[in-house]
Amino acid sequence: MAARWSSENVVVEFRDAQATAMSVDCLGSHAVLSGRRFLYLVNLEAPSEPPRKIGRQSKWDVGTVQWNPHRSESHVFAASSNQRVDLYSWREGCGEVHTSLQAHTRVISDLDWSWFEPEFLVTSSVDTYIYIWDTRDTRKPTVALSAVAGASQVKWNRKNQYLLASSHDGDVRIWDKRKPNTAVEYVAAHLSKIHGLDWHPDNEFIFATSSQDNSVRFWDYRQPRKYLNILSCQVPVWKARYTPFFNGLVTVMVPQLRRENSLLLWSTLDLNNPVHAFVGHDDVVLEFQWRPQKEGSKDYQLVTWSRDQTLRIWRVDPQLQKLCVSDMEDLMEGMSLTVESEKSLSSQEPESQLGVGLSADSLLDQDSGGRPDSVGGSGLTQTLQQEFSLVNLQIRNVNVEMDALNRSCVVSAHFGSHQVHLVVKFPAQYPNNAAPSFQFVSPTTISSAMKIKIQKILTDTSLQKVKRNQNCLEPCVRQLVSCLESDMTQEDGPASGPFVLSNPVTPALQAFPRVTNTYGSYQDANIPFPRTSGARFCGTGCLVYFTRPITMHRSVPPTEPTPRSLSALSAYHSGVLTPMKIRSESQSTLRLYSGSPTRSDKDTVSISSFYYKERKLPISASRRWSVQTLHDWPKSRRFKTKREDHGNRPIKLAGKVIIQEISCLLPVHKALGESYILNMNDIQDTCQKNAAAALTVGRRDVAKVWALASAATNQDLSPDSDPDTETPWARHPFGRQLLETLLDHYSQMSDVQTLAMLCSVFKAQASPADCYSLYGHHPPRSSMFPPHSRYPSYTSSSVTSGSCSSTSDSITTTTWNTGRDSDHVNPWGESSPDDYRYGNQGYTDPREREREQHDMNKRLLDPANMLQFDDFKKCYGEILYRWGLREKRAEVLKFASCPPEPHRGIEFGVYCCHCRNPARGTQCAMCKRLTFQCAICHVAVRGSSNFCLSCGHGGHTSHMMDWFRRQDECPAGCGCHCLLQSTC
Amino acid sequence: MVSVINTVDTSHEDMIHDAQMDYYGTRLATCSSDRTVKIFDVRNGGQILVADLRGHEGPVWQVAWAHPMFGNILASCSYDRKVIIWKEENGTWDKMYEYNGHESSVNSVCWGPYEFGLILACGSSDGAISLLTFTGDQQWDVKKISNAHTIGCNAVSWAPAVVPGSLIDQPSGQKPNYVKRFVSGGCDNLVKLWKEEDGQWKEDQKLEAHSDWVRDVGWAPSIGLPTSTIASCSQDGRVYIWTCDDPAGNTWNAKLLHKFNDVVWHVSWSITGNILAVSGGDNKVTLWKESMDGQWACISDVSKGQGAVSSITETQQSEQ
Repeated sequence: MAARWSSENVVVEFRDAQATAMSVDCLGSHAVLSGRRFLYLVNLEAPSEPPRKIGRQSKWDVGTVQWNPHRSESHVFAASSNQRVDLYSWREGCGEVHTSLQAHTRVISDLDWSWFEPEFLVTSSVDTYIYIWDTRDTRKPTVALSAVAGASQVKWNRKNQYLLASSHDGDVRIWDKRKPNTAVEYVAAHLSKIHGLDWHPDNEFIFATSSQDNSVRFWDYRQPRKYLNILSCQVPVWKARYTPFFNGLVTVMVPQLRRENSLLLWSTLDLNNPVHAFVGHDDVVLEFQWRPQKEGSKDYQLVTWSRDQTLRIWRVDPQLQKLCVSDMEDLMEGMSLTVESEKSLSSQEPESQLGVGLSADSLLDQDSGGRPDSVGGSGLTQTLQQEFSLVNLQIRNVNVEMDALNRSCVVSAHFGSHQVHLVVKFPAQYPNNAAPSFQFVSPTTISSAMKIKIQKILTDTSLQKVKRNQNCLEPCVRQLVSCLESDMTQEDGPASGPFVLSNPVTPALQAFPRVTNTYGSYQDANIPFPRTSGARFCGTGCLVYFTRPITMHRSVPPTEPTPRSLSALSAYHSGVLTPMKIRSESQSTLRLYSGSPTRSDKDTVSISSFYYKERKLPISASRRWSVQTLHDWPKSRRFKTKREDHGNRPIKLAGKVIIQEISCLLPVHKALGESYILNMNDIQDTCQKNAAAALTVGRRDVAKVWALASAATNQDLSPDSDPDTETPWARHPFGRQLLETLLDHYSQMSDVQTLAMLCSVFKAQASPADCYSLYGHHPPRSSMFPPHSRYPSYTSSSVTSGSCSSTSDSITTTTWNTGRDSDHVNPWGESSPDDYRYGNQGYTDPREREREQHDMNKRLLDPANMLQFDDFKKCYGEILYRWGLREKRAEVLKFASCPPEPHRGIEFGVYCCHCRNPARGTQCAMCKRLTFQCAICHVAVRGSSNFCLSCGHGGHTSHMMDWFRRQDECPAGCGCHCLLQSTC
Repeated sequence: MVSVINTVDTSHEDMIHDAQMDYYGTRLATCSSDRTVKIFDVRNGGQILVADLRGHEGPVWQVAWAHPMFGNILASCSYDRKVIIWKEENGTWDKMYEYNGHESSVNSVCWGPYEFGLILACGSSDGAISLLTFTGDQQWDVKKISNAHTIGCNAVSWAPAVVPGSLIDQPSGQKPNYVKRFVSGGCDNLVKLWKEEDGQWKEDQKLEAHSDWVRDVGWAPSIGLPTSTIASCSQDGRVYIWTCDDPAGNTWNAKLLHKFNDVVWHVSWSITGNILAVSGGDNKVTLWKESMDGQWACISDVSKGQGAVSSITETQQSEQ
């Protein structure tokens, strides 16, 4: 014990080793150092002996090396080299590679032997896969875990043979090797890269992570939202590992400018100050491992390897161990004391001796904590400060301010409109059969009856606990919450947490909101970096766009591309880009971003954090400032933060949204839409007027097209009905061909307006009679219909008008036939070529066919493309609709040949008046009787009929008309005022 | 001439992620990292805040207006994994439906063409695409395409309702038999086309060209021509124009519009489908137009959020 504060007892230098990794075997007899050219095996019993060497030929350094931790396989160690893992066996002073594992496609970042199965090894790689190998079958991994993100660390759980943890950037995933498809749990542990990951040696659920963000965090993966505890350091933490003895933790920092190459030993119970520093190394500590304890020895040995090419062995004697253990057992569940450390506990030394170099805080801790002997030997007690630091009070609406010095805490809870403030005072003997006192303080808004009730519950709970020398703060607070919640459920609604009264210490996992509002969730790596500018065409002629405010600049040089995923955001907070000198300040900022639920909304990480705002200064000063910002942007950010804090002026993070009129860029014009006409009775006039309209908006090309259209639709060129007299104009090069060229041109220009108008005009130009004469059997009177009416009409020849009329054969069930029933009967004149195909089949007379061919040839618009022409009209119709020109739209759509959707209004059905079955026609199919009787003459109605929509009575139209000329009640005597009922 | 007709100060407390006007161009919806969606009446150059919709618990990424035939309906999607459909009734905006079926941030929402009824596609970072169809009576039918894009889906865009395939096979007089199709882009660097067949969504095409995450896709509106056009943009800075003349929709040709220096976040087509607005991480908006010989040319540059669209040449004017 010569030098307590540098208790190394062995220093060996291996000058040429250039080793990157080191591992100690499970027997504690050998350490392997992996250099590029040789692996050195150091006999730890006699470390100064020259090491044995195993040659290796690789241009890659060894990434990780690890001995198999099982005694049966203690001669085996694994070393990763780029994408490969070599398994070495070391027997009788010589070693060789006996097998290699190859499957990874990129460099292997970590490997770990299973603690339970000697043959199993897990490897992680930046290729995003984690492979579990059975070394008996080395051809391929037995299990592949696909993590999507590359892993930096992978570690088997020490207590559960199936579990393992991997770290990916700032996240930790917990895997069950039986369920390789997906991780069991995600923990968004840090905002920057995790360098080290270590499972608790005795607790299945707890692990520690060390990160670039200057912290070590302790986690229970069952509560992934909130760390159990945090150890904040001034510098990024390279590795943090639990000690084999209780409550200890050893950290190695990422070395910064000042040569801080010491390893620090911490007590997990008090993270304010390290309990010990292992000072000695002159350069970065690359690896440290615990040498297994020899039988009968109370000492532990820490083996370290540094870039200074020295291997050191440090002795950690029971006194040092005791600093970590403090004087009691850790409360974390599942933990058990080993005999050995209990033994070491009992051998106490005077505290004054221990306290050398310790800070006042730890001294106080030691003092107030009391000695195990003085607290009656109960292993379950702990100091108040320790209770405060370990207590899990992440409960919604509840805030606990703890003051260990004054032995009191203030619990404030908000439930609905009620507030409760409670001061808890802990007597000096607490928790040794001394219960704390509870006192309500203002502003507490609950009724006094409620106060008494709560007081009783709290006193009971605390007494129960302290009787057994147990802590009671957490159970009491949970009781308080459940009591308040059960009382105020109507106000709190579904948000009330499921606290179980009978088991008040149940961690309130469900009470955490499912969605956190902060960034830093595990999936952020998959979430695209948000858009902060964008442009969108809206309506018909508008471009809506928004950009970042001009005063906002990216905090990284503009040459660097914008990151792709949201997780990148965290890097801009977590000190990766922050120089060391302002570390202390940025650290405090970091805590705000760390996802702690207590921080205010203002401090959450936001997209805007990626950009920073240029400070507005008088012109004279601004230049100097900008130079400064160039060199040291975080400084300006710090400045910004200050400004925000002072609240001088709110900084505008949202830019303006600009709406721009861009309709001049479009090939369609609203003015034209308004002024274009479609007069099918005078097509010449239509063309001329439209040409004039086109000129007024500056579309000279379209004006000329209208002139051409006017010429093509001239009466002189109207085709003869006799196919033998002349070739129709449509066959002329200036006929259909010209028109098609025009349509092609405007298609390329996307000028749907011109396209639709041309199609409509030339459709109208085909004379109405032509359309219908196609069909020989079509009634000639169809020409009485308005040509190309797009409205449905009756196909039956004996159409009568009126809403309730029927033909002689079908009562009331008039067919609103739109022509779909029959392939042959098509009242729409021109339609798709199908019609013609079907039509052709019907004709046997070659002259008919010739005449039909002639009809096709007469048209300027190619009938084969009719559907496409219709699409032009429909699209133009949509645009007209957006412009609010609904009548113009209807005009254009009249020329569409496709039928509109079938009428979906009222359709009248008939129920047989005798058997009540639905009937079609005059005779009921079920009872064979006539379905509908006239209410006047009691004769079945076959012809035209009327009936009342309200009472359902009616009869022959003529009878009904006669009746209702004089009466207004129903002729059937039902008392219905049919005329009134039907009209309203 | 191109002119700024309105400048809306949204008073969002954090950065804006999307802005979109309704069908008629009378209202503007914006969404932001401050977790709100705001609706402004922007008629006649005004900017009256109509509604401040609060309901999301994270930054809101995108908004989408439904066709006005269904009423005034707006959908929004957020980092909080939710899709909220808002509806105006009697002048007040309220939540009509909240969809919680995604396990990660929902990055994109897009309403289908009105011919298909009220149908919304949502793309999420959990890799899935959800299709929400309104079936009446406040009921929404949900169909989910799991693992549409490995790692995550970043954008969805519907195809216009056109009759599929050839113009010849269509039986006359029948109600057109539309096929529902949309396009999506994701973190697998792929653009995927989806088609509904017998009520099931199937992957129809997989378009490969991008070398990094696809950030946005836009299916160009149809003016009745048989060609389908899609624009896609990516983290790799490239914008591709995909065209398909094949009636069966199987052969897609990619054409590189431009390679930008920074990520391209958004593409948007004009109503006639001949101008494309491109915006990205460089804080600029550019407009691109296809010339008669099929080349894409930049016709303007909206930069720094201050200027109007500039440099529209006179030739463009006279050409029309």
